Amino acid sequence: MAKEGDMSLFNDVLEPFRRVINTDPPKDKLSAASKLNFSDSNQSIKEGLSNLLTLGKRKSSIGPEMSTPDKRMRTDSSSNVASAPPSPWEAKRLKIDLIAAKAQISKLEARVSHQHTIRKEMQILFEEEKTSLMEQHKRDERALSDMEDRLQVVRRREQELRDEFNEAMKEHKEYKANWDREKTELHKQIGELKEKLLEANVSNKDQISEMKKDMDELLQALEGAQSEVEMLKKEVTRQTSRAEQCTTLKTQLEKQTFELQQVTNKLKELEYERDSYKDWQQQAKTAQKRLSNMAELEKEVVRLKATERSLRDAVCNKLLLEEQVHQLSSRVEALQPVQQELHEAKVKIASLESSLEEWKTAARNHGVETARSLASALDSALSSQLTATAGCSQAQSQLAQLTEDIATIKYERDKATTKLNDLVTVRKNQESLIHRLQKRLLLVTRERDSYRQQLDCYEKELSVTLCGETGAGSAALLSARVEQLEKALQGYRDLLATHDQQAHTKMVENLRNEVSKWREEAESLRRDVQKIRAQRDTLQLHMERLDRSQPPQTKVLHLADNPAALAQKQFQLDLEAAQEEIKQLKAALREGGSRACSDAETQQLRQQLENRDIKLKRMKEEFTSSAQEYRDVCYMLLGYKIDRTGHKNYRISNMYAESADDYLTFKLCDDGIEMVHTDYSSTLGELVELHLHHHRSIPLFLSALTMELFTRTTMQQDQ
Amino acid sequence: MSQQQTKNTITLRGSAQIICEYLNFAINSVLFQRGLYPPEMFKAEQQYGITLLISEDAQIKSFLTNLLKQSEEWIINKKVSKLSLIILNVANKEVLECWDFNVQYEEGDVALSKEKNETVGTKDLKKIQQEIRDVMLQVAATISYLPFLDCRCSFDVLVHAKTDCDVPEKWAEAEPVSIANAQNVQLKTFSTSLHKMETVVSYKLAD
Repeated sequence: MAKEGDMSLFNDVLEPFRRVINTDPPKDKLSAASKLNFSDSNQSIKEGLSNLLTLGKRKSSIGPEMSTPDKRMRTDSSSNVASAPPSPWEAKRLKIDLIAAKAQISKLEARVSHQHTIRKEMQILFEEEKTSLMEQHKRDERALSDMEDRLQVVRRREQELRDEFNEAMKEHKEYKANWDREKTELHKQIGELKEKLLEANVSNKDQISEMKKDMDELLQALEGAQSEVEMLKKEVTRQTSRAEQCTTLKTQLEKQTFELQQVTNKLKELEYERDSYKDWQQQAKTAQKRLSNMAELEKEVVRLKATERSLRDAVCNKLLLEEQVHQLSSRVEALQPVQQELHEAKVKIASLESSLEEWKTAARNHGVETARSLASALDSALSSQLTATAGCSQAQSQLAQLTEDIATIKYERDKATTKLNDLVTVRKNQESLIHRLQKRLLLVTRERDSYRQQLDCYEKELSVTLCGETGAGSAALLSARVEQLEKALQGYRDLLATHDQQAHTKMVENLRNEVSKWREEAESLRRDVQKIRAQRDTLQLHMERLDRSQPPQTKVLHLADNPAALAQKQFQLDLEAAQEEIKQLKAALREGGSRACSDAETQQLRQQLENRDIKLKRMKEEFTSSAQEYRDVCYMLLGYKIDRTGHKNYRISNMYAESADDYLTFKLCDDGIEMVHTDYSSTLGELVELHLHHHRSIPLFLSALTMELFTRTTMQQDQ
Repeated sequence: MSQQQTKNTITLRGSAQIICEYLNFAINSVLFQRGLYPPEMFKAEQQYGITLLISEDAQIKSFLTNLLKQSEEWIINKKVSKLSLIILNVANKEVLECWDFNVQYEEGDVALSKEKNETVGTKDLKKIQQEIRDVMLQVAATISYLPFLDCRCSFDVLVHAKTDCDVPEKWAEAEPVSIANAQNVQLKTFSTSLHKMETVVSYKLAD
């Protein structure tokens, strides 16, 4: 029963993993069923076995049977069956049963083992499942703990939020209370304000009534004022009429004053005319006086004419004299070189006389008294000289001939010497030839000797061979011949040695020198070769490298729009633009520079310049005119003309001054203005003393001066 | 076991990418070092464990991406033998400097290639990058001896491809360049075990 329970539990557990182990449930059931059978059959087998054992072991031992009472019962029963001696059939049957049982046992054992293996597999599966479940459990636990943590966090957050909510509620309440309080206060205020408004209304009404009263009073006053105004208007009209009368009176007055002025002007003119008439009168008087003196004047004129005539004659005389003087002076000039020549001639005569004197003395010394004897003596001397010169020329020609002869002789001598030299060399050659020939002769004689000897030898030999052939004799002959031959050889050798030693040594030396020279050359060439080889190697290496870097059978490709091409295009564009600009600029330059390029501009500038010039001119004019005006005004108002004579120097002259020289000079200093001493200022000692030294005021001084001058001039006019 | 294998192998495409990445940085570095463009046009970038400067100019960027995309294809198909970065005077088109990037093709790991039925190499990426860094440092150091470029200069990249190679769209054939009286300086080489990159700078010797 327990086993069955176990199996059912096993089945239950197994159920979910059937899919995993790919076993069919019916088969499993079958196996379970077989297992159940197996348990039964096992029992039966055990029974059979025990039966057999009892059969086999009955005689051997009873102890084990006693230990198993449960089985003993059966053994008993079997023993009861087997109590009778077994018949052969029975034995046979028993044997068959035994065999069958044995077969069954073996089959069952195999089954048991199979079941064991299944159980083990199941165990393994269970364990795996267990471990996976454990892992799952752990994972779940972990998740659970995480969730719990999360929950705690959430709870904490909730708590916080709740606290916040509470606080917010509290705040809200507080705010509410505050607002309520404020509201009540505001209500109170509103009440107060209403009361105030009422009060104000009342007071306003009072004020309005008061103001109305005032208005009435004012209206009354206004009416009074209007009546007054009307009265005043009337007055005004009256006054205006009076004013008109006054103006008419004034105009009349003005007219009268104007007429008065005209009259006074006329009066002045008349006075002036009267003055001029007085002057005319005076002039007439003087003219009359002059007319009375007329006769005297005529006499004087006659006298003066006479004197004039005499003066004119004198002038004529003077001209004549001047001409004479001129003629004389020219003559003097002409005579002066003649005088000089005269002087020179005199000097020459003196010198010639002295030389003549010398000649005379010389002649006297030679014993010749007269000039003719001197001449004859001279002639004889000259002829003797002529003969001498002829002799001299003859001698010279002879000398020239002799020198020519000498030259020809010398030439001949030179020729002879060269011939001699040639002959000497020829002789030397001949000598050497003779020497060589002698040597040859010697050689030839030697050769001839040797040939002769050889001939002798042959003759002897021939004679010997002819005489008879004896061994000993022939041997002796041979040896003698050998000796002879050796001698001849030696002779040749000696000859050779004597002959060729010198030449040989020379040649050897030459050869040695040559050899050494060649060796040196070879050495240097070898060195060159080495150098060249090294060079060649390096060049080859270079070539190889180049070859490696530029292998044939490749083609060079590049992107069509590479930066170099772009840059070149850009450069080309820049260049073209620059050239275009240059062309433009050149063209502009050819057309006349700036005028062409900015005609309008220059026009504008010119206009501006003209405008400026005009403005400047106007300004100058304006300035000069205003300056003039200012000066005139100053002169007219203040009575002084002020001129600037230099730096900080001013000259002022009064309107009423008696002359232009009456001027004062002032100089502007750092601390005011100073009067400079002039001739005129020295005449004003009194005023200077009073106003400048006492009052220290220049304007006052000037005013006083003006006053004084004015009074003086008017006084003069009055006079 | 399989993880370890993938770590150490470099495929042909990956190797070509490394080469092209190097070319990009090397060309940018030369442009910066030689002063062809103003320094403010470049931004610093960390690569191979050093700071390198990369141009931010849109034109240069697009040019290099177009160039390197095509070059990568060619390198995979073993069509390219050399890339030359030439610096020339804009005014008279005279070539002043030539940076040759010689590409040589290597076998890689033959046994593993047979096994995988694809050409692969087994070289540590870190080692390759270290080699590239050495070359980049040398490129930066060339400024000390290269002659000063005192004219308006620009650059071009010439690809020396095999004659049987097709000319794609936007590409054109160019004349091979040579510098008269040139001085060659060979920089360090590096290898990805599939490609060997040799960098040579040749410049006009100052008169």
